[in-house]
Amino acid sequence: MKGSCSAVSKLLEKYFDQEVTDEERSLVEAHLLDCHACQDVLRSVEKLRNLVRAPVEEAVQKEDFQWVWQKIERGIRLEERPTFWETLQSWLQIPPLFQRKVWIPAVATITIILLITIPLLFKKTPSYPSLSVVEYVESQTHNVMVYESENTKVTVIWLFEEPEKETPSS
Amino acid sequence: MRRTFLLFLLFILCFVSTSTALAEVQVRLRVIGASNDGQTIDPSLKDIYKELGSLFSFTSYRLFRDENLTLSPNQPVSISTLRRRLEVTLISLHKDIAELRIRVVREEKEILNTQVRLSPGRTVLIGGGPRQREGIIIYALYARF
Repeated sequence: MKGSCSAVSKLLEKYFDQEVTDEERSLVEAHLLDCHACQDVLRSVEKLRNLVRAPVEEAVQKEDFQWVWQKIERGIRLEERPTFWETLQSWLQIPPLFQRKVWIPAVATITIILLITIPLLFKKTPSYPSLSVVEYVESQTHNVMVYESENTKVTVIWLFEEPEKETPSS
Repeated sequence: MRRTFLLFLLFILCFVSTSTALAEVQVRLRVIGASNDGQTIDPSLKDIYKELGSLFSFTSYRLFRDENLTLSPNQPVSISTLRRRLEVTLISLHKDIAELRIRVVREEKEILNTQVRLSPGRTVLIGGGPRQREGIIIYALYARF
């Protein structure tokens, strides 16, 4: 008889479940050929398993596992929810419309126009400390007089005519 | 996409035209004949008669023309009256000061060339020169901002 009963009996359940190694299987099968006691034990294990398997399988078939699936789906959804960082990244992503190259010349044009027009619109007024109204005056044919009155805010540019010489009264 | 581009172009055109419109100034020009013949004061000159009376010794003032000139930079506007031509050009416009170049031409001969700054409420009177049948010609200019 190959192997002792005590050693083989420990392997019988594993053998029945086909979980033994090839070496263990050879040992058990060689032992079972000669040992009626172990054959009985194996048979009783088989009977016991068959007794248990039938009601369990029946119960499994009758059981409604929908709540189990719901729980699993909930778990999957929780796992799939993006993190704060992922949400932020998605917000910062450039929309597909802006990824088109047609916006490059448009943005460039707007920038150029703004660069040209803003300085013109916000150009500072040059200061005229004395605020002389007449910047220059010239006449090749007449003598010219310039009179500025700050009270009445009137400036007179007068051309004299020889020989009459009209002059302002003041 | 094409519609967006057209709208964009329209926006640019509106913006440019608005900027251009901002560079214009309105100038009121009155051509006045002053003389000592009679004592006629044109009713249209009531607002300016006080200044005219304090500056000149004429007894009669008549309004020949009253024009509102829209001036754009470096675009001369001419007004011909009584054998004289007045040419006004906007040189620059800074907020509420308009720099104008004014030329007076008589019989194709320039008798005056000047550059003045017009500010709100400021009136520039240009007069004198050869006496004409209608008297002395006085140009009164002021800008509207």
